[in-house]
Amino acid sequence: MAPLRAITPGVSMWTILAINSVTFGGLLFLLSAGFSLIFGLMRVPNLTHGSMFMLGGYIGSTAIVTWHLPFWLAAALAAAAVAVFGGVVERLLLRRLAGSVLAQVLVTLGIAFMVSDFCLMVWGGDPISIDTPSALSGGTRTLGVYFPTYRIAIILIAVVIAALLWALLERTRLGAMIRAGVDDPEMARVVGIRVSRLFTVVFCLGAALAGFGGIMGAPILSVYPGLDFAMLPLALVVVILGGTGSLIGSLVGSIVIGFIYNFGLVLLPQLAYFILFLPMVVVLVLRPQGLFGRAAP
Amino acid sequence: MANEALALSGIDAYYGDSHVLHDVTWSLGEARLLGLLGRNGAGKTTCMNVTMGVARPRRGAVTLFGQNIAGRAPEDIAARGIALVPQGRRVFRSLSVHENLLVAARKPEAGGKHAPWGFQTVYAAFPRLKERRHHLAGHLSGGEQQMLAIGRALMANPRVLLMDEPSEGLAPRIVAEVMATIRRLKEQGLSIVLVEQNAKLVFDIADDIVILNSGQVAVAGTAAGLRDSGIDLHQYLGIY
Ligand SMILES: Nc1ncnc2c1ncn2[C@@H]1O[C@H](COP(=O)(O)OP(=O)(O)OP(=O)(O)O)[C@@H](O)[C@H]1O
Ligand SMILES: [Mg+2]
Repeated sequence: MAPLRAITPGVSMWTILAINSVTFGGLLFLLSAGFSLIFGLMRVPNLTHGSMFMLGGYIGSTAIVTWHLPFWLAAALAAAAVAVFGGVVERLLLRRLAGSVLAQVLVTLGIAFMVSDFCLMVWGGDPISIDTPSALSGGTRTLGVYFPTYRIAIILIAVVIAALLWALLERTRLGAMIRAGVDDPEMARVVGIRVSRLFTVVFCLGAALAGFGGIMGAPILSVYPGLDFAMLPLALVVVILGGTGSLIGSLVGSIVIGFIYNFGLVLLPQLAYFILFLPMVVVLVLRPQGLFGRAAP
Repeated sequence: MANEALALSGIDAYYGDSHVLHDVTWSLGEARLLGLLGRNGAGKTTCMNVTMGVARPRRGAVTLFGQNIAGRAPEDIAARGIALVPQGRRVFRSLSVHENLLVAARKPEAGGKHAPWGFQTVYAAFPRLKERRHHLAGHLSGGEQQMLAIGRALMANPRVLLMDEPSEGLAPRIVAEVMATIRRLKEQGLSIVLVEQNAKLVFDIADDIVILNSGQVAVAGTAAGLRDSGIDLHQYLGIY
């Protein structure tokens, strides 16, 4: 019996690590799906995406802690607020810089720094932690493994959102219009498609997802100064790995990076970032369009 | 002209500093077919771009059913009952055939003359498109893409149809098919501008002819009148 006892904790540690990895992958998907769509469809490298994640976390947490709103209402509010922020940034700034990638990089990076400062001023330097929504607290023990309900819920929500996004883009008229606007913006306008309005919708949608990811992640990661620039590189890695504009690429990339990040932190903590960026470098060299991306024409 | 569908008057257009259209004036009567001819670079496509709002004229008016549309956005102009079959077809390559039609669909104005265009009627007019409706437009042959570009324009139920060199790069048999389609559309009462380099094709079906030369209107008149006038059109039209 003794050897079995020795093995069991080990097995459950791996399982817990695996569950955490997939959960983190789910959060990364909420973060990177929007980044990937905005970059893949509109060619805008939106470096405020980490800031949107953090803003969602802060706004949602405040709504829960200070205003005592229920978790899901707070999450919806956070997503909506960040969508408005994204819409303003897109309409007022990025729209004027269409086609100039360098200017877009600099402006979005500048805004990201401003958001950092703003959040530090408003929410201070201490991490804010919130509880998991009460309906999803606790967990179930099956086959000797403990499955925390909230983490499983995040995984399911990410998969459902991936499916909805896919259906929106590939199975609706709106999605076809967005793709037509990407294919040939001028011709799309000539057939009557309001391309500029659709691109704002895509940008707001990406922002809302990032904000939603921020509040969904808050019970696990907490919200703290620097969360923005901790998440941004992860979004970049996911999108480069999965391929820009590819939803399935974002989903797979997120889960792969979720595993690499969590296992790397536990097994080789000194090399966690090295291990994280290694697959990105390999993919960039061998398959620049990403695992699921289409080659540039 | 009493029943004028579309008119360009006194249009000057530039690309950057290069002056491309010089005081261009022509008009399309309702339910008529205007052949717009001219050599490479004469300014035919620029006329289309100015009409659809893709290029802004520096001077002049574009009048669609009596309203000036010059300077408006393409999507607003499209909403007023005019559609373009562009040079080079420009189908949305990564969309399926069906989606290309879907994104351009628009309800007909109340009181339209003939049965409105929709998936059924477009597929009936171009059975080949129906067969390939789930294929990506980018994978179609040139002739099929031309059919799709025409079908896409019809889905908007336009009253004025602009066609920019629809025969370009197609085999003679396909060209004949395209011309037969255009003839049918004309019989249904659509007002059509047909841009061509091939004068023979146009004189066969046009009511009126405008010939552009270096961005200026060189000749304008009815097709019958020009045919009988004995003017040597070759000087404006290169090899044809
Ligand atoms: N985007 C552009 N930028 C600068 N110059 C242009 C542009 N498009 C066309 N031109 C120039 O404007 C002039 C008119 O071009 P346009 O395309 O209207 O001619 P076209 O009659 O349609 O010719 P084709 O029969 O070859 O299609 C040409 O001299 C062309 O080189
Ligand atoms: Mg042309």
